[in-house]
Amino acid sequence: MRNGTPSSPSHILSQYARRSLVRFVVFSFLWYALAGSDKASWIIGVPAVLFATALSLMLASSSPLRISSAGAFHFIPFFLRQSFHGGIDVMRRALSFQQLLDPGLVSYTTLLPEGSARIFFVNTISLLPGTLSAELHGNRVTIHTLDQGLPIWANIQRLEYHVAALMCISPEKKESS
Amino acid sequence: MSWMHIFFALVLLPAIGVGMIRILRGPTAADRMMTAQLFGTCGVAILLLLSAGMGNPVLLDIALVFSLLAALATMTFIRRTWRGSGKKKHEYPLQ
Amino acid sequence: MNILYNSGTVLIILGLPFFLSGTVGLIRFPDIYTRLHALTKADNVGLGCIVCGLALQSGSWAVTAKLLLIWLLVLIASSASCHLIARSAMHKNIQPWTRS
Repeated sequence: MRNGTPSSPSHILSQYARRSLVRFVVFSFLWYALAGSDKASWIIGVPAVLFATALSLMLASSSPLRISSAGAFHFIPFFLRQSFHGGIDVMRRALSFQQLLDPGLVSYTTLLPEGSARIFFVNTISLLPGTLSAELHGNRVTIHTLDQGLPIWANIQRLEYHVAALMCISPEKKESS
Repeated sequence: MSWMHIFFALVLLPAIGVGMIRILRGPTAADRMMTAQLFGTCGVAILLLLSAGMGNPVLLDIALVFSLLAALATMTFIRRTWRGSGKKKHEYPLQ
Repeated sequence: MNILYNSGTVLIILGLPFFLSGTVGLIRFPDIYTRLHALTKADNVGLGCIVCGLALQSGSWAVTAKLLLIWLLVLIASSASCHLIARSAMHKNIQPWTRS
């Protein structure tokens, strides 16, 4: 895959081709999901997919978003388990006779770099048990929690680690930012 | 016609109906808007169950559009009518 | 086939209480932030259970893909709008409810 130094024209071209291929496959899958398995739908589908690929390359061609498949393999079960726990936690507090809430605000400084990784992190916080991202200010996230007795720091650090693995962010890059 | 799925959809209806209480009580516009979000998620679930119950795949597309519209409604509401003033941001007791 | 169908039914039944408790939380919880917790978490998990159950029952890849797409959209939409509402509430200086 990698021929030449990272900044050589052939490398940039191959990266560009790979990126457009990935987007083409994703949009084709999306069309298949939307239109169903009817083959005639591809008369509209192929131009639509090509158009969407071109448009997304024009709008976000330099997006540094890289998703590692190993990271996704670990992230998806983690996310499903955590959001299930979150649902159970809310259900317990909503249905119990006593008031089980002890809300508060917690501030957390994230090491994730600016951009899609940080935004993804902030959005997934809201689906973790007992936490809700209330504000993002630079690298400081203000988190509202349902119960100050929960291990919020440990949970969020674990989520941060998983997001970094998902987005191919190495620890060295994390320290420098 | 699968009555089981239609029964499940009926079980979800009170979840929407009781949510109306929050619209009446408020107190802020955002609390009322959250009920709209509840309508979105519950409505999608009901449509999915009805689609399976009535064997009508078109309802899946309606659910898809519903989920998109619920998101747009909340975001437009926040950007247009319920915008924060932007001053005095961090005066809460932070841990 | 029958095992798949029945486990799908179990998942759907598992999903229903999440929706109901999300609504109970929306009514019972004391302030806007805690209500947001109830709404986003409970409803997303409930919808996830129902989507997985229906996908198991459908027996068709296209329907499964569409169901998962709907769930993904709802997940993105609700976590983003949840964050937006909480942020606007903070900017409006709405104080979070605290115990006593």
